[in-house]
Amino acid sequence: MRWAFLVALVGGLLLLALYPMVATGYGIQFMLQLFMWVALAQSWNLVSGLTGYVSFGHVAFFGTGAYAGAILVTTHGWHWGPASLAAGVAAVILALIIGYPCLRLKGPYFAIAMLGLNEVMRVLVSYFEGLTGGGSGLSLPTLHASGQIYYAMGLAAIAVTAAAYLIITSRFGLRLMTIREDEIAAEAMGIDTARYKLYAFLLSAFVPGVVGGLFARDQGYIEPISVFALLTTITMIVMALFGGKGTIWGPVLGAVTLFVFQELVWARFLYLHQILFGAIIVFVVLLMPRGILGVLQERYRLPRTL
Amino acid sequence: MGVTITPAMVGQVVISGLLAGALYSMVALGLALIYGVMRVINIAHGTILMLGAYTTFWWFHLLGVNPYLSLLASMPLMFLLGVLLQWMLVTRVVDAPELSSLLLTFGISIALVNVAQLSFTSDLRSVEFLTGAFLVGPIALSKSRLISFAFAVVITLLAFWFLQKTKLGKAIRATSQSSEVAMVCGINVQRINLYAFGIASALAAAGGSLVAVMIAIQPEMGQVYTFKSFLVIVLGGAGNYPGALLGGMLLGLVEQLSSLFLTTQVSEAVAYVLLVLVLLLRPTGLLGGRAT
Repeated sequence: MRWAFLVALVGGLLLLALYPMVATGYGIQFMLQLFMWVALAQSWNLVSGLTGYVSFGHVAFFGTGAYAGAILVTTHGWHWGPASLAAGVAAVILALIIGYPCLRLKGPYFAIAMLGLNEVMRVLVSYFEGLTGGGSGLSLPTLHASGQIYYAMGLAAIAVTAAAYLIITSRFGLRLMTIREDEIAAEAMGIDTARYKLYAFLLSAFVPGVVGGLFARDQGYIEPISVFALLTTITMIVMALFGGKGTIWGPVLGAVTLFVFQELVWARFLYLHQILFGAIIVFVVLLMPRGILGVLQERYRLPRTL
Repeated sequence: MGVTITPAMVGQVVISGLLAGALYSMVALGLALIYGVMRVINIAHGTILMLGAYTTFWWFHLLGVNPYLSLLASMPLMFLLGVLLQWMLVTRVVDAPELSSLLLTFGISIALVNVAQLSFTSDLRSVEFLTGAFLVGPIALSKSRLISFAFAVVITLLAFWFLQKTKLGKAIRATSQSSEVAMVCGINVQRINLYAFGIASALAAAGGSLVAVMIAIQPEMGQVYTFKSFLVIVLGGAGNYPGALLGGMLLGLVEQLSSLFLTTQVSEAVAYVLLVLVLLLRPTGLLGGRAT
């Protein structure tokens, strides 16, 4: 079972690595975006799925990364690779500023602080026009690098999923899940909850920053409303919840299922998009709190760390 | 920015701050009520405010009647919507981990916003009823803001009278102190939850109706109010009802004062900085609330 799974995994990755040789431009863009959603949903999962602290503003890290990367590329002439890594660092710094005050507290403070964060970042980015181009956006020099960005985005998705695996199967992950189940008990057992929550949060901010930087490079043009869109956060949350929060493969499963569905079916019902997302959230929370993967785990006796 | 600040400007700003603050207090009292009674932060609170605002818009647009009278429609309507939401959905997550209730109300909120976008479009709408201002010495008082202030004060006082004096109000306060003890005393907590959600939604709707007369509205306006209402109850101390009044006034004042020094765009971010500062320095709120 374990071997079969590993072989399938390696085979799948190999196919994905070879795919650009045969793919059309559309195919590459499709997969690239799929990787992006996997990375984003999995990042959200790292903090919210594991610690139970809901982040309603994860797109703020994505947007910050997009701007940081774009500014480094346009005004400082960086290559997009290092620029995207620097974008990840920028997102982590933002996470530190927000997380330090908010995560020391219990309760919904964190959730609401994150709800406002996105709005504030959008306002600030629009305000500092000299640096960011304000409301009219920022154009990057033209560059045809979709092929390379495909691999970079794929690596980001793999890296964050691997991180989820390492965390969930480690003592660190157990500590986070203890915080989620009962924070007072976790403290009583000697877990420094504020510190571990902050670690999880910083980790979960890095990859959205990187992905934001890659996204900016790939699109070639960003503006505040496109990279700080509330819908991005909603999508991440729905994907992670639908697949199964707090699991390794749940967010991957959720991102793939919903993204493929979205491209095939919902593109025709764009207006109903958010109603569907809202309905999925309500449905999952009430009837399927552990997502698809949770249902499968119950039915087929799959291992807990999946 | 090289602008001299005169006493008249400060007076103007303080008064505008208090006028805005009363509205914040009223809306935040609703959020505080739900949080106090059920320990649920209702992310859809601002969304309900938005629906209240549209009720007023359509009332004025279709009937052409004085928009302030639409409070008589928006408050009962949103009371019913609130009761319905609580009865069908929220009641199932009251005792669940807060992740569930946060996500559930978030889901409700995005679905309702989308419904509003589909039915009312995303265009900015406004109720042009009272424009212009009274001049009192050097200070200009916007008519619509002044009247909204009066309504907000009256409604908030009524809500407090209700909480303090009526039997149902006392039962609500008892439940928010301890739902177990309240249950033992023979209070039907399920019913109290329904009333609390309904009343809170009616308060949000009142806020929406009053906002609609002052500024242009659109379906996504609600999120800001959810955030600000939460900030108000953090300022006042979560679960502390009089604290919500103080917090609202304070938020109004800080926002207006900051607009003296900053552009209006950036003063939107001031509320956020305030939240982070309060959480760092006085996490139990200014009046000291119940520890969470």
